[in-house]
Amino acid sequence: MATTETRPPRTSVRPDAPTPYARISLLAIVVIAFGWSLFASGLELSDLLTGLARFPRLFGQMFLPPDWSYVGRAMEGMIESVQIAWLGTIIGATLSLPLALLAAKNVTGSVSSSVARQFLNGFRAFPELILAILFVTVVGLGPVAGMLAIGIHSIGTLGKLASEVVEGIDPGPIEASQAVGGSWLQRMRWGVLPQAMPEIVAFWLYRFEINIRASAILGVIGAGGVGAILSNTVVYRRWDKAGMTLIVVVGATLLIDAISGRIRRRIIEGPARGEGPTEDRPATAAAEVV
Amino acid sequence: MIRFENASVTYPGGVEALKNVSLEIPDGQMVVIVGLSGAGKSTLIRAINGLVPLSGGRVVVGERDVTSADKAELRALRSEIGMIFQGFNLVKRTSVLNNVLMGRMYQTSTWRTLLGLYPAADREIAMQALERVEIVEKAYVRASNLSGGQQQRVGIARALAQQPNVLLADEPVASLDPPTSHVVMRDLQRIKRELGITVVTNLHFLDLAREYGERIIGLRAGEVVFDGTGDQADEHVFRDIYGRSLTADDVMEARAEL
Amino acid sequence: MSWQGPAAVLGFLVLTWWAWVGIELSIGEIVQNISNAGRIIEELLDPAWGALNNTYGPFLETIRMAVIASVIGCSVALVVGFLASRVSAPDVVTFGVSKSVMSVIRSIPDVLYALVFVTVFSIGPMAGILALILFNIGVVAKLLSETVDGVDPGPIEAADAAGATLMQRVRTAVFPQVLPNYLAYSLYVFELNIRASAVIGLVGAGGIGQFLNVARNAFRYDVISVIVIEIFVFVFVIETISIAIRRRLV
Repeated sequence: MATTETRPPRTSVRPDAPTPYARISLLAIVVIAFGWSLFASGLELSDLLTGLARFPRLFGQMFLPPDWSYVGRAMEGMIESVQIAWLGTIIGATLSLPLALLAAKNVTGSVSSSVARQFLNGFRAFPELILAILFVTVVGLGPVAGMLAIGIHSIGTLGKLASEVVEGIDPGPIEASQAVGGSWLQRMRWGVLPQAMPEIVAFWLYRFEINIRASAILGVIGAGGVGAILSNTVVYRRWDKAGMTLIVVVGATLLIDAISGRIRRRIIEGPARGEGPTEDRPATAAAEVV
Repeated sequence: MIRFENASVTYPGGVEALKNVSLEIPDGQMVVIVGLSGAGKSTLIRAINGLVPLSGGRVVVGERDVTSADKAELRALRSEIGMIFQGFNLVKRTSVLNNVLMGRMYQTSTWRTLLGLYPAADREIAMQALERVEIVEKAYVRASNLSGGQQQRVGIARALAQQPNVLLADEPVASLDPPTSHVVMRDLQRIKRELGITVVTNLHFLDLAREYGERIIGLRAGEVVFDGTGDQADEHVFRDIYGRSLTADDVMEARAEL
Repeated sequence: MSWQGPAAVLGFLVLTWWAWVGIELSIGEIVQNISNAGRIIEELLDPAWGALNNTYGPFLETIRMAVIASVIGCSVALVVGFLASRVSAPDVVTFGVSKSVMSVIRSIPDVLYALVFVTVFSIGPMAGILALILFNIGVVAKLLSETVDGVDPGPIEAADAAGATLMQRVRTAVFPQVLPNYLAYSLYVFELNIRASAVIGLVGAGGIGQFLNVARNAFRYDVISVIVIEIFVFVFVIETISIAIRRRLV
């Protein structure tokens, strides 16, 4: 910050305003793309308005009041979704850890790093629902297909995040364990993991929260959980039942978010420092829907 | 004229930052406030434009009572008081000119600000402010690309763009090296002379305070313990204000030689 | 402190056991069924490239849906994001309400929105666009509000000292600080929309996903393979471009 400087001459002239080419072209691209999309997709404003006009009534049918007697059935479905998400996260976490270590540039060679990276990208590229379509045909309808779909997808996202955490660690301990002649595995176990683990575990929990959202919809294609109930009540227009199910889904999701967020904060900051803005770290946030 | 009448500030934690301060600062004076950190210097400065609310007493700037001002009155009052900061407080990701135009916000309608369409007259005022601190050639450079001294000059230009009657400066040179500090202090002195604005500034270094202050006010634990000219403020006075003997840290030139 | 480690392990084991029993997981059954996989994998590995021509139309529709939903969703999120940060919210009530609306929006999965919208607006891209818009608002507003929480407070103080209104303060002191991040989030969400539209199309919300659903119902795994590869390539291209742009932005 502190730099010595000489004064500019008194006769300095005003510069011309530069033309913000980057800004103008960016704006132009967005406007043109938006205009083309709107024009070419053949959307009708009247359709939008008639649809929107239905919402107040729909809202009433769903929530004023919801079908309270349906709460048990909805809960059953939601619990299965949570179970799918939990097991899927465990699969993802377990399998992603070795891949993450292999993908981190600072602890492996560049060849193995880029190979492992491609693997992770591959897993990540398939949305859970598409994986679930495939697994349903392989293992049959039901929650097992959902669990596998979520697990496989999570390998990709968790592996990517964990490898970034590993790349950000302090190189000192790795060098130390290298200096005492440790093998690669020993270096990972004693030099890398102790540093990276809290953040990685926090990502696992975060992924669990996301996976609950994902598993809540897998039932749409028959892969278990609350999604089947949601899909059926909506498709058959049993709005009061759909409303009840929606309340259960949102309530359970928010509740688990809150608990898991609290635990994550503890893991990252340690119990001594109490509540902090850990949840608001963009790194965690960016992990969200990757 | 700035007038403090038994002004007190107690922070929510219970810290008494100002205790019963009464002062009068006539128009066009260059006042330097000295004291240890925590003596209440920043609070005194911020009480003038209402950034820190009083818990007792009154502060009056010109015709306006800061203490009883509502939101709109406070904004009107602040628009007439320019302020520069220790950390410059520039928006680093935007151009120098955009930063200076912040000084024209009060006179600009909200929709014009939202679209970034300042009237030509306001842009002219901003350009002139940049000329006054001799940095107009950087008008379209991003603020983050400037050195510390240049950033502080932009900070001064932003304050000048308000066409203020009073200029507050909170430790304006604390983040700068000695030669740059002198450049910035001389800028402030020149502005005060050319425009006849009242300047109230905090300084930590007593040599700077003595060199640039027409009047020196010493604060200790929230109370005014000295009020006089720079010539009167000798080492004994400073020892009294600081409550301890002086060290090399208190003199910029001495510290620069370390 | 010492009880927390064992308690965490115990909690983990209990939850896992509970989930295991709950979904009636049987490894034997999976192993048995794996043999079914042979035919599917065979078909997947032999994509029906002839179907590629038929995918262009739906794929363009997906891109158009993503563009519309990103532009509208991100514009709304710009407002919601500022309202949901203490730094820029006009008062505590607005802050609290925006924050809770944001979490509720985010707690409902995109497919669910699509399901409801398809029944209201009938099958087609309109339902999909609306679902994606809500999804985008949830993601971008959350990321943006967190970025706003972390801005340098110095310029805000400067804006206040110059007599700015709340709107002026947000526009001049906060917005320039978060603009690069906001643009990065918007690009990111566009990328996500391409991927998501494959999924919401399954319930009839238009785009490539709707085509995917046709292939699924016909058990044409060789066509599914083509679609998946297409999405993969397109997302990869978009990702590469957007990473390059984002790097220049932030």
